[in-house]
Amino acid sequence: MLKYLTGGLFFLLSSSLYAQRITGSVNEQAPDSKDLKPITGANVYWSGTTQATATDASGRFNIPRSAQSNLLVISFVGFRNDTVKIGAENDLQVVLQSDQTLNEVVVRGNTSTIDRLSPHQTEIITTRALAKAACCNLSESFETNASVSVSYADAVTGSKQIQMLGLNGTYIQTNIENIPSIRGLASTFGLNFVPGTWIQSIDVGKGAGSVVNGYESMTGQINVEMQKPDSREKLYLNTYLNNFGRAEVNLNLATQLNKKWSTGLLTHASTLRNRVDKNDDGFLDMPLYTQYNVVNRWKYQSEKVMAQFGVKALHEDRLGGQNGFEKEMKGSDNVYGFGAKVNRYEFFSKIARLFPDKPYKGLGFIVNASLHDSRSYFGLNNYDGTQKTLYGNLIYQSIIGNTNHSYKTGLSYLLDNYNELYKDIRLARNESVPGAFFEYTYNNLDKFVLVAGGRVDFHNLYGTQWTPRLHLKYSLTDQTTLRASAGKGFRVSNPLAEYYGNLVSSRTVQFRESIRPEVSWNYGASITQEFKLGNMSGNFIMDFYRTIFENQLVADMEDPRYIRFYNLEGSAYANSFQAEANLTPLKRFELKLAYRLFDVKQTLRNVYDENVLLPRMMVSRDRVLFNAGYALPYDKWKFDATVQWNGKRRIPYMGHVDEHHVPGNLTSTMSPSFYNFNAQVTRTFPKWDIYLGGENLANFRQKNPIMGANDPFGQNFDAGMAWGPVVGRMIYAGIRYKIVR
Amino acid sequence: MKKTILSILIALFAGINIAQADGDKQIKIKTSAICTMCKERIERNLGLSKGVRESNLDLKDKVVTVTYNPNKTTPEAIKATIINTGYDADTQVANQKAHDKLPDCCRKTAAAH
Repeated sequence: MLKYLTGGLFFLLSSSLYAQRITGSVNEQAPDSKDLKPITGANVYWSGTTQATATDASGRFNIPRSAQSNLLVISFVGFRNDTVKIGAENDLQVVLQSDQTLNEVVVRGNTSTIDRLSPHQTEIITTRALAKAACCNLSESFETNASVSVSYADAVTGSKQIQMLGLNGTYIQTNIENIPSIRGLASTFGLNFVPGTWIQSIDVGKGAGSVVNGYESMTGQINVEMQKPDSREKLYLNTYLNNFGRAEVNLNLATQLNKKWSTGLLTHASTLRNRVDKNDDGFLDMPLYTQYNVVNRWKYQSEKVMAQFGVKALHEDRLGGQNGFEKEMKGSDNVYGFGAKVNRYEFFSKIARLFPDKPYKGLGFIVNASLHDSRSYFGLNNYDGTQKTLYGNLIYQSIIGNTNHSYKTGLSYLLDNYNELYKDIRLARNESVPGAFFEYTYNNLDKFVLVAGGRVDFHNLYGTQWTPRLHLKYSLTDQTTLRASAGKGFRVSNPLAEYYGNLVSSRTVQFRESIRPEVSWNYGASITQEFKLGNMSGNFIMDFYRTIFENQLVADMEDPRYIRFYNLEGSAYANSFQAEANLTPLKRFELKLAYRLFDVKQTLRNVYDENVLLPRMMVSRDRVLFNAGYALPYDKWKFDATVQWNGKRRIPYMGHVDEHHVPGNLTSTMSPSFYNFNAQVTRTFPKWDIYLGGENLANFRQKNPIMGANDPFGQNFDAGMAWGPVVGRMIYAGIRYKIVR
Repeated sequence: MKKTILSILIALFAGINIAQADGDKQIKIKTSAICTMCKERIERNLGLSKGVRESNLDLKDKVVTVTYNPNKTTPEAIKATIINTGYDADTQVANQKAHDKLPDCCRKTAAAH
């Protein structure tokens, strides 16, 4: 069926290496028991093609997605052939029936899987895992993920930031369908601009990324795949309400117009109109807001051409600050107010030329244009910013001789125009960056994979940039996989947009010098071990990554009177170690336990103008995550619970500083550690689901998230020092309604 | 802390034990299913209906095997679910309205594929 031909789209247009392969296991039902026995040597091939593989000793197989076929045939002597239609699944469990018995196929998608084949350390968060946290947008989609954590930016604006490998989300390259999206000025609220119900899956890659998508990936890359116009879900409606009065409606529509054309509409509207001040500090714990967000996209799919184009539009209005603040009081020196209006428009198009008889070959062209406009005020200070971006990427992929040697090469162009005004500080720049890349992949039967890539970019302001990256994967045994990666990253920072939350303070912004681009090197290694404990299957993953900065934007807040931006002088690094165990003790019962250790340091200049290496503020050294999920067949009932423990983190000196006697040693303090509990229950009916859940169930709150809240126009006011939840327990409920073709 | 995790685990395991209670009955019903999409649809709708533990459709002979709790549902109710999904159940004919909503490939008029 044509609508399933999206496999071809994945193969070609996903310029990253993720999810291009189908993995799975082939088993037989042992007689007189419920146990499954792996079948070794079963044939697995795409119907009507010569692309084939066989299962290994543990019954596992992996096969690249085919552009020509979406029907995967599994056959073995003495068993009935089985044909499985492949949609978005990545991992299959196939049970072959012996010729004498009935045939049956079980296709199962795990909630989150580690991509076994990708040379990048990649975790895929599927729709099923996203449904674990009913909410709400991309920033909240990582709650059950150990590698990415959500940090609390400040106590007023409601912006949420993510962290990976101990560094801010700005160092992750965040792509939407392989288009670099959440960057520049959008890094402030951008994660809130991708509603959860629009997301089909998220790939989280740790360490250096592929050169194909640009030079900005420093600690990792996240790629979000959105719901497709040719999805089987014709209509998907989601409504959500929480106890603070936040209400949300999402409606996705998809129509197959004819055999070749399909169109989809993704819409979102959400609002909070209720003033909440649970900690009685006179400030709203969450800003009032309204967001309208819409995407319309079109898709054309024929044998030889796949084309997609669409438009996005977003409007968001936030209002926060002191309880009594109203919109009309903007500019008041009596009542402190915060406001932010964001308008964003975007056009995107992707065209791919497919070669049906040569599925390894492809030509793709991506174009994206966006306009981001934000107008904010923090008390008496205004901050306006506009970003205009044009991005184009032309990718050609093919093989050298045979499919053991493949490559991707292409040209890219990025045009960025920034114009920012904060009080009387004007920041404006025009970046024009043509670039070229080449990435070679050597794949020896998926046992050993090497990806070596490089790109050269001609930056009009900062000169020629050379970005090399290397990835290695070696499968020691069928259960043990080793990976290593190294690579350079380069990005131009946007200090005000990235430290937006810290502008809600009486700190004075100072640029000590002109800020140079950030340059980093990332090195990492990981080991993935799959195991069986009796009937239980599971895996164990350990990884270590180190990011070293050649230059870094330093946002120095050691002195409570200032935010000082300057270039790094000396060393800055981030070490990250993570150990994670996943266990499936029973069918449909999944457990995850993860521990993470960060050592993140940065050289700052102290009051005597000496360089001192200090632990980076607001980063927990330790974090533990435990997640348990159980589902009945067909997810009739689904239970999920997550516990997180966040260790202590350093917060800078927050006391008073006398103008004439600046103390030589501004001693920093440590925030306490805390737990966070989330849980959710979902009941599924044939056409709709209802869900009920809670976040921060232990009702933990940072006691005084805003310093000097009683005198916001005074010298000690600072709302940017939030290290924990500002609001307490949150209970939510919602309904999902689906019409499936 | 440990207690909390433990109690969550116990709650989950307790739920599983209840779900696997004995005394279930099994019934085999002949349907008009055609393709894997039909199979998915029938199995899901049955699986989500009251009292049904498991449902398994064999596309070769079009027979769906349903394991159910006789205290919670009846063979009649199970057949009604199949009919309302748009398929025949043994001698009973599919609900026409539901049948007409099925995609082309799943209707009775569709050729075997």
